[in-house]
Amino acid sequence: MIKLHKVSKSFSQFQAIRSISLTINKGEIYGMIGASGAGKSTLLRLMNLLETPDEGEVEVNGQDLTKLNGKQLRQARQSIGMIFQQFNLVANKSVYDNVAVPLELAKVPKQERRNRVVECLQFVGLEALSDKYPAELSGGQKQRVAIARALANRPQVLLCDEPTSSLDPNTTAEILGVLENINKSLGVTIVIVSHEMDVIKSICTRVTVMADGEIYDTVSIEPEGIKQLSNQPNWFTEQLTKDGEKNHA
Amino acid sequence: MPEILVQYEAEIWKAILETFVMVGVSIIAAVLVGLPVGTLLFLCRKGKLLENRLVFSILNLLVNTIRSFPFLLLVVFLIPFTRLLIGTAIGTAAATVPLSIIAIAHYSRLVEQSLLDVPKGVMEAAVSMGASVKEIMFKFLFVEARSGLVLGLTTSIISFISYSTIMGVVGGGGIGDFAIRYGYQQFKTDLMIYMIVIMVILVQLIQFTGTTVSRMIDKR
Repeated sequence: MIKLHKVSKSFSQFQAIRSISLTINKGEIYGMIGASGAGKSTLLRLMNLLETPDEGEVEVNGQDLTKLNGKQLRQARQSIGMIFQQFNLVANKSVYDNVAVPLELAKVPKQERRNRVVECLQFVGLEALSDKYPAELSGGQKQRVAIARALANRPQVLLCDEPTSSLDPNTTAEILGVLENINKSLGVTIVIVSHEMDVIKSICTRVTVMADGEIYDTVSIEPEGIKQLSNQPNWFTEQLTKDGEKNHA
Repeated sequence: MPEILVQYEAEIWKAILETFVMVGVSIIAAVLVGLPVGTLLFLCRKGKLLENRLVFSILNLLVNTIRSFPFLLLVVFLIPFTRLLIGTAIGTAAATVPLSIIAIAHYSRLVEQSLLDVPKGVMEAAVSMGASVKEIMFKFLFVEARSGLVLGLTTSIISFISYSTIMGVVGGGGIGDFAIRYGYQQFKTDLMIYMIVIMVILVQLIQFTGTTVSRMIDKR
């Protein structure tokens, strides 16, 4: 589904990615983890050419993105969804209009657009909030709007750049649940970049560990499942006092 | 109504109309030319979508140069150009030329500033969705910056009114010119004060409208 072939990327003097090759299969939930500055976000951003590689090829859906012209690249990007740590919603557009934007870009007729927006909002459980503006939503709700927006054009791939890193643990679990559901029920290939080990371990099937712009290791893992946390105050107390579980939460 | 205002009523209305024409044309120039120029300034910056050092430097220099002229000198300096364009350098129509030029320079800078306030991530999301530069402008940039664009235009319009008051030097007329000719030069101080009051009310109204509209359309 995604193939990187000897991809390199530098920012002025700093070499962020050093000749990386990797293959992500269809239907996988693929994780990328590593310390800050290891290059994991850059690697993800190379997959839709938000960063242009200095060398190497980036193949998504059987197309070499580096060989496309501007218009073809824009077209290709419409079937590669992306979500961000900071959600990046248009604050002056309602939830409905935010989800409608990618459909407008893809020139989907109005009636069909309406149906699809409602469908996507239902999928993330936010159909009741379609007239709200992002400022009126919680972080988790904003991320779900961003997910609905990314899904609007029925992408084959969903790129997630630290999708839960600005969310609390409960909301994180909720967003991971949505991502897992997208993978299971829609068959979308998902790539997640995160520095949170729990996030990666809970839903990924294969994980690349990155260090200094290179792949340190790639391992196949059995996803542990999403930890169901509680909102109750006694749960917090329990976690604090339970022996040997100090690193748990 | 005070007697002196009744006495000069016709002239006052004429002066108000001239001010409206001069400021109105400036607003049109600011929106039709200043908005695109400001957007281009933003987009051609380093690291932005249309990064282009040459275009940026030229526009930047041009805007700075126009804005560094003392306005009165700009009016005089532009007389040959005005004559070429309008056929005369004297009168209200001729006065709109230097006013429009300063309006474009003034507003384009404020447009650039408002666009710089749009979060980088929003632009990134737009690119990742496969939006073209035109789509990014109309579906993201202007939508996200709209309250700043309105506030900037409000500030600009008030400056245009101020600039328009000195257009008497080329026979442009207007409230400012009227206040100077009748109020100041003919020692009718009360008349001058009434003109100042009209200007103050005008500016208050514009600022109030601008602030209200900008707040209404700001959902951030």
